[in-house]
Amino acid sequence: MYVSLCLNRNMSPALANDLGYKPLDGGWGWMVVVGAHISIGFAYSTPKVLSIFFEEIQENLGASYREIAWISSIMLAVMYAGGPVSSVLVSRFGSRPIVILGGLLCGVSMVTASFGNSIVYLYLCIGVIGGCGLSLNLNASLTIISKYFLNKRPLANGLAMAGSPVFLCIMAPVNQYLLQKFGWRGSLFILGGLMLNCCVAGALMRPVVLPRKPSTCAAQKNVEEEPNECNTKQKRSCMNNAKTFLDFTFFKDRGFVIYLIGNILFIFGAYAPIVFLSAYAISQGVEEYSAAYLLSIMGFVDMFVRPGTCLIASSKWIRPRIQYFFGFAMVFNGTCHLLCPLIKSYAFLVTYAVFFGVGFGMVFGLIFECLMDLMGNQRFPSAVGLVTIIECFPMLLGPPAAGLLVDVFGDYKYIFFMCGSVIVAGGVFIFVMNIYNYHMLEKEKPAKVREQNQMTIENQASASA
Amino acid sequence: MSASWKQLLFQILLLLVSCRRINTKTPGPTPPPLVPITSLPTDERSASLEGESHTEKVELLNPVNLSLACTWTGNQNKLPNITGFWRKDGDEVENSQVTVQLEGDQYKLKRVFSIVSEESLGSYSCVFGSEEAKIEFVLAAPQIGEVRDKPIVSYVGDSGVIACKMEETKPKPITWNWYKANGTDKIFAVAELLRYEIKNEERKTKLVVHNLTEADGGLYYCGAVYAISTTMSHVELKVISFQEPLKPFIAIVIEVSVLVAAILLYERCQSKKNYTAGNGTIDQTNTMTQGENNEPEESSSVRQRKI
Repeated sequence: MYVSLCLNRNMSPALANDLGYKPLDGGWGWMVVVGAHISIGFAYSTPKVLSIFFEEIQENLGASYREIAWISSIMLAVMYAGGPVSSVLVSRFGSRPIVILGGLLCGVSMVTASFGNSIVYLYLCIGVIGGCGLSLNLNASLTIISKYFLNKRPLANGLAMAGSPVFLCIMAPVNQYLLQKFGWRGSLFILGGLMLNCCVAGALMRPVVLPRKPSTCAAQKNVEEEPNECNTKQKRSCMNNAKTFLDFTFFKDRGFVIYLIGNILFIFGAYAPIVFLSAYAISQGVEEYSAAYLLSIMGFVDMFVRPGTCLIASSKWIRPRIQYFFGFAMVFNGTCHLLCPLIKSYAFLVTYAVFFGVGFGMVFGLIFECLMDLMGNQRFPSAVGLVTIIECFPMLLGPPAAGLLVDVFGDYKYIFFMCGSVIVAGGVFIFVMNIYNYHMLEKEKPAKVREQNQMTIENQASASA
Repeated sequence: MSASWKQLLFQILLLLVSCRRINTKTPGPTPPPLVPITSLPTDERSASLEGESHTEKVELLNPVNLSLACTWTGNQNKLPNITGFWRKDGDEVENSQVTVQLEGDQYKLKRVFSIVSEESLGSYSCVFGSEEAKIEFVLAAPQIGEVRDKPIVSYVGDSGVIACKMEETKPKPITWNWYKANGTDKIFAVAELLRYEIKNEERKTKLVVHNLTEADGGLYYCGAVYAISTTMSHVELKVISFQEPLKPFIAIVIEVSVLVAAILLYERCQSKKNYTAGNGTIDQTNTMTQGENNEPEESSSVRQRKI
């Protein structure tokens, strides 16, 4: 078991169980998925649904639209940038206290924001504090899924990630209702209360009682046997607990770098079509309500596609080559965007929204499952922290770049061309580079198996002594 | 605040100077600046009709001598002469009945109207024959298009902001005025009281009410002042107390506490049950099958398992 901990690098897609135990793959795990669903749902949907309040806040505080829109951007940026800190905390304390803390932070942020009288105050409360809370939620939820599931992990991931569209569909009308009934202050106040439900989600995330590594190492030490593995392991665990917020050794991992580059390209092009879809539809002569409806259609389809895709991904044909499926999903998404400008009628726009939902759901259902698949359960928390902080940049740059295109060319179709081509490039990159990666892994496998067998023999010898 | 005071004083002065000329049936909110009738600019509007009736909207900003021209292609029996007259708001205009000759297969009717104030605005119709054909000109100042139907919700003690906007496509008003409706009648101009703050920009206006009380709730009317008249729009302000959102919030906090307590208690009960049942029970607990208790072969088979 501890042998596998040392050998977790570059094994063929992490069906290699480096947890050292057999995950539950069911039972209480499904309640954990419910908790993750709620937590991830709030994390992804809150920055988007807050925009419902913007117009009223704008009028009340006398700010411009651009100043108000920064609230969402700051919240998203802090949520993603807080990844590494969140990883360290999760590794140290486990998921449950972190999600409960995240929920409390989010609740406090919204409640204090409701008393705000200036834009900067809102930036701090909603943007910074709220963003921190959401960042803790996101990372911890993903980590605990990797601890509870192995065989059914894609499905668990898909169900958890489906929280984002589900909560978007629920929170949007709820927020509208709250705004009409209580105004923006009362709505933020009540929204803070609703976000305390993340604490419930955290309570569901029962910690996994791991077999105790330090005690076995201590036993080893007492026996005064080969101290190198245990010492290095202890050193590594000390290092992990200490100040390595960003573990740059990940960049030596081929699969990780491929995943990262593909993801950066995808995230750059992913959000701009959502932001501009309504405007594009209106420019094609569609009525305002029908244009807004397109996004709801996309969200609704997304809800079902995420778990569905992951169900397919957990099948025995796809799971070993899940990175190809991920690349395919990206190419599908990008192609949809490239075809969009050819569409003029509303019926075809609805079809586009459906396919957009399918593509988007496929990619986002798989996005963290693929990272878990690459990194294994031990390294996943730090990896996801690093990935989210790097993804911060394309995510913040994407929509403004698209907006710039609209300003320069005066036509929305160039957004779809740009986003579609960038996403297709990312997908093709992942697909092609993974052919190389899997090939190299196959080549390295015989050497690894030999090394592994040797270590097993050595450890058996030392254990029996 | 001082600018609107000055404006009001100036308007009152004008009113006093020429009060004999004004026929005030219903006092308008603020009388527009007066202009001698003889020096009005002229404008022309015309419309042609093929069928039975047609409506044309005319947007006016300033007092003007407006010449309205109607052209009718006639019906099946094209009489050489036909009577035509003008109507304003349903009442026939005095001495407007004329005989129209058929010229080049068309009947033409034209008249000049002096549009000086709000009373002059309205619906002007030219009628051919005995109601055979009718063209209606609707004269009005620019109307505020977007009227907010949902109330603005504010809290007691807070500052409420109500805004009105004239679209970019429409001409900008001279100034804005605000009125509060007490019941259904417009009682007073809002500019006087200290708690109110009016911020006027060219096309937008904002009324800020400081230190709200429940009595401040209700309909507020904003008026865009043009030389010819004032167009009104309304917004509703609702003032609620702090307790209103507090009730659902407390309900949610109670729900969260109950659920968290229930989940943690359940977990404690379960772990106690497992402890008393013995260490061997695996299925109920969340402690995973411990690798170190198993044989190394089993863990290696887990490692190499392919799916």
